[in-house]
Amino acid sequence: MNQTAAAAKACVAVILLVAGGAKLADLSGFSATLRLFLPRKTPHLAIRGSAVGVVAAELVLGGASLCWPGGRWLNPVILALTCAFVIVTAAGFAIFRGRSCRCFGALSSKKFDLLSIARSGVLVVAAGLATGRLGPTAALSDLDSALLAMASALLVLATFTAVRALDASATNLGRT
Amino acid sequence: MVKVPVYLEVAQWALLLGLGFLVVIMYRQLGRVFGSKPEFEHGPAIGSQAPGFEYLRVSDRSVQLAEPGDGQPILLAFVNPTCQACGKLVAAFTRAHAAGDLDSVRVLLLISDPLNYLPISAAFRETPLEIGQVVARTTINAYQASATPLAVSVDSDGVIRKTGPAAEVSDVRAFVQACLLVPPDKELAIVPASHAD
Repeated sequence: MNQTAAAAKACVAVILLVAGGAKLADLSGFSATLRLFLPRKTPHLAIRGSAVGVVAAELVLGGASLCWPGGRWLNPVILALTCAFVIVTAAGFAIFRGRSCRCFGALSSKKFDLLSIARSGVLVVAAGLATGRLGPTAALSDLDSALLAMASALLVLATFTAVRALDASATNLGRT
Repeated sequence: MVKVPVYLEVAQWALLLGLGFLVVIMYRQLGRVFGSKPEFEHGPAIGSQAPGFEYLRVSDRSVQLAEPGDGQPILLAFVNPTCQACGKLVAAFTRAHAAGDLDSVRVLLLISDPLNYLPISAAFRETPLEIGQVVARTTINAYQASATPLAVSVDSDGVIRKTGPAAEVSDVRAFVQACLLVPPDKELAIVPASHAD
């Protein structure tokens, strides 16, 4: 079994789950970021729909990848998604340098900068490593998958709660 | 011995790291919350000179100039009708006024809300004390009244003696004492809430 591939796959999946949960808790903030990349006349509903779509993609792909590692078709899809992240952060750096990307909601105040491109690059590398063959020991029983699914749901819930709590405390601290 | 699939172990470690990441971020934020200055400490520095300012007197809609240091102690209260704690402060001031404890102090209730919000609060409707509306935002900034209620005691020389929140009669007593430069250990009789009602 390729342990590097397993570790990379699990890490990318967990990052996708955390990112999805954080964006879900701060959907309006993420929609504001998304608005930067869409034409000015894009209706609000379409922007919000796109935001929900990205969040759903992250959660579904992260969850499926973590709980059912045998599904090899997921690997190129996740690789494509991480490549899209690199393109978006590079475009953000070129056009909206210094603006907050809200990639992890209130969990992070990271902006579009060179470091954000590097981080996305690392994610692409990890997603690339995850495409390696995992071997037969990656075939989980239904019980194992269910356990991971429950843990994933808990992680998303914890992330959601953390983002909401951080947002509330930040608002209170900055109240004028 | 049960053999756990390697991938399951790796995935569990990754999940644990994810949770650990969340805990660290939450812990850092908690540190920021507890390490920050409470809002009631956002008032002006004690011992500094109170700045003068213009305000719109609500009773006759005329613009007045407040000049702390004109020889009369002044007790400023930054309050708003939309703030629940402010209603309690204004009620406490009203009770103190009824007991005659504010006779030697000028009290000015300063609001920043629109005037048509005043009837919202019974305490604001019923108080006989002078209410003024802040004309310029610079007044709020000069007194660092970033949150309401904020009371500011200014002595007869215009020096700020005490700032902070106030919601009870005992708080009003402390602020009046500060205005009059009465030591905190000396009693200043202000009628308790239960007697005034």
